[in-house]
Amino acid sequence: MRKFPIVISILFISIQFLTAQEVKFGEVTKEELLEKEYVNDKSANAVVVYKNQNTYYVNAGGDGMLMTKVHERIKIYNKDGFDYATKSINLFKTRHDSEGVSKIKAFTYNLENDKIVETELDKNQIFKTEASYNYKQVKFTMPNVKEGSVVEFSYLISSPFIWNIDEFRFQYDIPIKKLHAEIRTPKGFKFKQTFKGSVPFYPKESAERDNRIGMNVVINKYNLNNVPALKEENYVDNIDNYRAGVMFELVSVNIPPYFKSYAQTWKDVAQTIGNSDDYKNELDKSNSFDDELDILLANEDDQMGKMKSIFKYVKDNITWNGIDGKYFYNGLKKTLKEKKGNAADINLLTVAMLRYAGIDANPVIISTKENAVPFFPTVDRLNYVLAYAIINDKPYFLDATEEFSDVNLLPIKDYNWRGILIDNDSMKWDLIDINSPNKAQRMANLELTLNEDGTSEGKCSLRYTKHAAMDYRKEYKDKNEESYLTDLETRFNGIEVSNHETRNATTFEGPVSEFFDFFDENASEIINDKIYFQPLTFLKKGENPFKMEKREYPVDFGFPFKNTYVVNIKIPEGYSLESKPETILMKLPEDMGAFKYVINNDDNMIKLLVNYEINHSKIGADVYLYLKEFYKQIIVKESEQIVLSKI
Amino acid sequence: MRLFSYIILSLFYNLSVSQTINYSSESIPKELLVNANAVVRINDMHIEIVALRQMKITHTRVVTVINESGSKHAQAYIGYNKSLKVKNAQAIIYDSYGKVLDKKKQKDFIDVSAVDGGTLYSDSRVLFLGYTPIQYPYTISFTYEVITDNTGTIPSWVFLDGFMVSTENSSYKLDFSSPELKPNIKERNFEGYAIEREEVNGGILYRANNIAAIKEESLSPSFNKLVPRLMISPFNFYYEGYEGTIKEWNDVGLWMYSNLLKGRDELELGTVAKIKELVNDEMNDLEKAKLVYKYVQQNTRYISVQVGIGGLQPISAIEVDKLKYGDCKGLSNYTKALLKAVGVKAYYTHVEAGRDKIDFENNFPSIGQGNHVILAIPYNEKYYWIDCTSQVHPFGFLGDFTDGRRVLLIKPDGGEIVTTESYINDDNHQKTYASVRLKESGSIVGDIKVLTKGTQYDNHFYLEDMADLELEKYYKNYWKNINNLEIESYQFENNKDSVVFGEHIKVNATKYATVTDGKLLLSGNLFNNSQYVPNRYRSRKLPFEVQRGYLDEDEYIIDLPEGYAVEAFPQETSIKNMFGEYEVSYALNGNQIIFKRRLLIKKGDYVNTDYNDYRNFRREISKNDNSKIVLTKI
Repeated sequence: MRKFPIVISILFISIQFLTAQEVKFGEVTKEELLEKEYVNDKSANAVVVYKNQNTYYVNAGGDGMLMTKVHERIKIYNKDGFDYATKSINLFKTRHDSEGVSKIKAFTYNLENDKIVETELDKNQIFKTEASYNYKQVKFTMPNVKEGSVVEFSYLISSPFIWNIDEFRFQYDIPIKKLHAEIRTPKGFKFKQTFKGSVPFYPKESAERDNRIGMNVVINKYNLNNVPALKEENYVDNIDNYRAGVMFELVSVNIPPYFKSYAQTWKDVAQTIGNSDDYKNELDKSNSFDDELDILLANEDDQMGKMKSIFKYVKDNITWNGIDGKYFYNGLKKTLKEKKGNAADINLLTVAMLRYAGIDANPVIISTKENAVPFFPTVDRLNYVLAYAIINDKPYFLDATEEFSDVNLLPIKDYNWRGILIDNDSMKWDLIDINSPNKAQRMANLELTLNEDGTSEGKCSLRYTKHAAMDYRKEYKDKNEESYLTDLETRFNGIEVSNHETRNATTFEGPVSEFFDFFDENASEIINDKIYFQPLTFLKKGENPFKMEKREYPVDFGFPFKNTYVVNIKIPEGYSLESKPETILMKLPEDMGAFKYVINNDDNMIKLLVNYEINHSKIGADVYLYLKEFYKQIIVKESEQIVLSKI
Repeated sequence: MRLFSYIILSLFYNLSVSQTINYSSESIPKELLVNANAVVRINDMHIEIVALRQMKITHTRVVTVINESGSKHAQAYIGYNKSLKVKNAQAIIYDSYGKVLDKKKQKDFIDVSAVDGGTLYSDSRVLFLGYTPIQYPYTISFTYEVITDNTGTIPSWVFLDGFMVSTENSSYKLDFSSPELKPNIKERNFEGYAIEREEVNGGILYRANNIAAIKEESLSPSFNKLVPRLMISPFNFYYEGYEGTIKEWNDVGLWMYSNLLKGRDELELGTVAKIKELVNDEMNDLEKAKLVYKYVQQNTRYISVQVGIGGLQPISAIEVDKLKYGDCKGLSNYTKALLKAVGVKAYYTHVEAGRDKIDFENNFPSIGQGNHVILAIPYNEKYYWIDCTSQVHPFGFLGDFTDGRRVLLIKPDGGEIVTTESYINDDNHQKTYASVRLKESGSIVGDIKVLTKGTQYDNHFYLEDMADLELEKYYKNYWKNINNLEIESYQFENNKDSVVFGEHIKVNATKYATVTDGKLLLSGNLFNNSQYVPNRYRSRKLPFEVQRGYLDEDEYIIDLPEGYAVEAFPQETSIKNMFGEYEVSYALNGNQIIFKRRLLIKKGDYVNTDYNDYRNFRREISKNDNSKIVLTKI
């Protein structure tokens, strides 16, 4: 929390006044109750008929309070819409302060015998729960709800965290017919607004005197009509990135003669964080680890070796407590003592150690995928920090929180957007792209003998690099060999695996390799003395992951990849090749991906080479249909058969 | 006499306290590490029934967590509520050498509401230790004491915590201050385990050492059916304001009826009049019940609010009538009240709900069994069952949530154990008809009708309420054997009286048949292609079960493209064995292929050595379902 001079909060003077509402509470019409479906989206189980949100400041006993008044009316069409008759209000709290909710008013309306019947929510059906250490919940569900009901509620949230204005959300998983939102901020307090989502809206700005606080205020109004529902899709990085809404960030306070600027550009953000005690002073205190590090580094001559051994040391000795953070949770000393800490404890410790070893190292602040994209220069919406080093002009990113991460191989959640480099020493603050990992590879090599009875057997070797290796390691970890094999056999179409071996799966460096012998009872089909065989056999994909007709949001693959399969097939004696699939090459537009299927043969050997690659971790919804078609062709190609006939 | 028994007791204590433990992970016997993500080093429960209204529980649990997956077995948490106080909760964490890493007192535990996602509010709370392990293995010792007035439910005991965890020392000791307070104890699944039992005047002790971990295997019975465990229930007790004595199930019913249900089915006169008007001049009780059930389904919904008597007592019918919501207890009691108002008898029934069938124990009456409430309506010497929390199930149809298991009917004059309606083998029927037009390009156009009954009805009828986008996803996944499937239209017919659900779907798909060298290859089983083969185990350890069984019948007519003839059909197959029956046949009728298939999977309990045969059966089915018809151009 930022601290503000008391002078400013004394300026608030409390006087009541009324705000005009477009839709009055309680004025529910018969038409609303009779409505059977929402014309613009017949699949909607419920619709927000109207939502009004009003955010403003008041004076409460000398301190400013941020108030948010909400009025919401929801029409419920069917049973699946009953969930929207339950409201849960999350109230943020710290050890000292807490948000509160009051003035809960709630009614259900039904049409009975052509008359509107109101049922009020009983106050003793409002439940308060301590949900976790940093928020509590107030929950209620509406009485007398049935198909066709309209429910309406209003409440007032008061927050002592006055400069943290929650994002205004203009889109839900059900459609909204009409929405009005308004925010009043004291003049002189400049809040930057950032709009997001694909639904257009246009705020209107005005100014007036607000007698509640005795100040002039700036008013921003947002009016939206017919907002479509936000629908879940697979392979989405974070649906909140696409939700219509507006975010607020205080950028400066200017009440002459007082002036102070807060984060306005990324450079300001970097400076704000860089000037915090954690980054300015604590980061260079090396006395808690110097002795141990001296021993560790004694055998390393070059910077590269030093960096790697420090990275390994931190990973081996300090455990991530699962908490994100750009500021210390424990601090360096306590982290080393307790051997655990949050992301900042771990990665700033890495920076501190790298610096101690004489390496040019700095923190890079990011927002992880779960935390959505920050969209605008902001301190608050950054939740994580990485270590960054430069050796021989080459950049290296490190995140020591994850067991299987490596230098320049970060957990996928880190590749969200960009990072803010904080180099206090050389007064350098830069924005660095961290939105895509390097391409990972999966390679498979099959030496396969096809038997006369339709079965096949052979040897398979697989190799995984980068994030494909990281995925493998996570999957393999702590599994006993037998359970792993059971899963492997099921995944590979029920082949029987023997002599299985995995190399390099329990460390974090380099590729993983896997070897096994297989026997496949159902490898092919024999019909009329002919053998029909799909040459990619159990390595085929089998199913198109993109089956839906439409796509709203970009497809996030996590990381770009290239899969290479080589299958050498020995055909049974006494058979000859009658026909084989054709060689093809396909490409997605703008080199986003490619698929190559090359098949050759001589005498009794058939050789198949398949390359399948996706070159970007994210692919836009505008090219979704190409992507869908691309996969469709792959699946069709994979199912094509080699036909062998008896000589 | 009394003095004497105390002396024995104190000897007894010394014996068990004297066991010492080495907290180092190195000291764990090798055989306990096989398949184990965690090892329960000590699990000591000591229960003292001090008086009818006082029970003390002391629990010590020491667990060595071997790896991350074992963390859930640390179980350093304890639930509590208004009538159950927790004292002296503490935890000590040791590294693998047995050196203390950290110590936590009760005040360091996190105290939160025990509300889960499906509950609006509950007054139950939980104290838990938020601990981040810094290395594996580590050992956590967790102890606490509990004091409660309630002696109605006594903690039960398992000698093994779950799959993939072993037990080094486990003991359960129960002392009671007078013979009347000696509870009923039932041992389950003790065969093959060396569990010691010692009984003295005023006390009983169970002890077991070195129980190896069990690995989870697919299709195995639930862990509860495999694990050696104890069930404990008092004969005489006090619970949330009421004393009770139970010797048989009849007593449980009587206690519940008179303390928890009686008088809670009153309704306001207006409501009574309204419901009477609703059934109007209907004379037949069963028809009246159907009307009332329909009214409840249309006017109420399920919301779980758990306050007061240990989650056992329903909120009153008057309250539910006002709110129009309630949990299973509240809605069942309300429906029972409405039925009573129109002169129809119904019994409030406790059941253990879930897809896995769990019975009420025949000779073990207790108030602690069951997790759900349904209603039984007696009519013509038969019970008709309804679940009042469902707004969509047909009258008299339970589905696989509460079917075929022993439940407790609570009647005004006592309790009775009966079995709910079962859905077995061909009760769970699916019939699929399709006519398909195949084109030269390999594309297909299909018109499909699916009729489902029994538990298969239960798995299909909710399609009726699904949104378009969800249905598109559903069918594309249901027929995932057909790539490039597009759904053209669908229609549903839900016959709630006969409990049959009908789907009529029109689809098309490009390149269903593979075109190879002027030939078309396609699987004749388009719309019920079983690709399921159970996992292979190198040595299967556990028995397995099919809880209900089902029958699928398919009949498809495939129109061939012009100028094509059948070159080869796959082999016709007919298999009959202990697990079921499978038959598939192909016939040519002019320019049409007629494909027929019948698959019966029988309900059954099987031993581990039968597993491979079952797997082979399923593999044979999968192979046959995928076999290709070859067509050639004439």
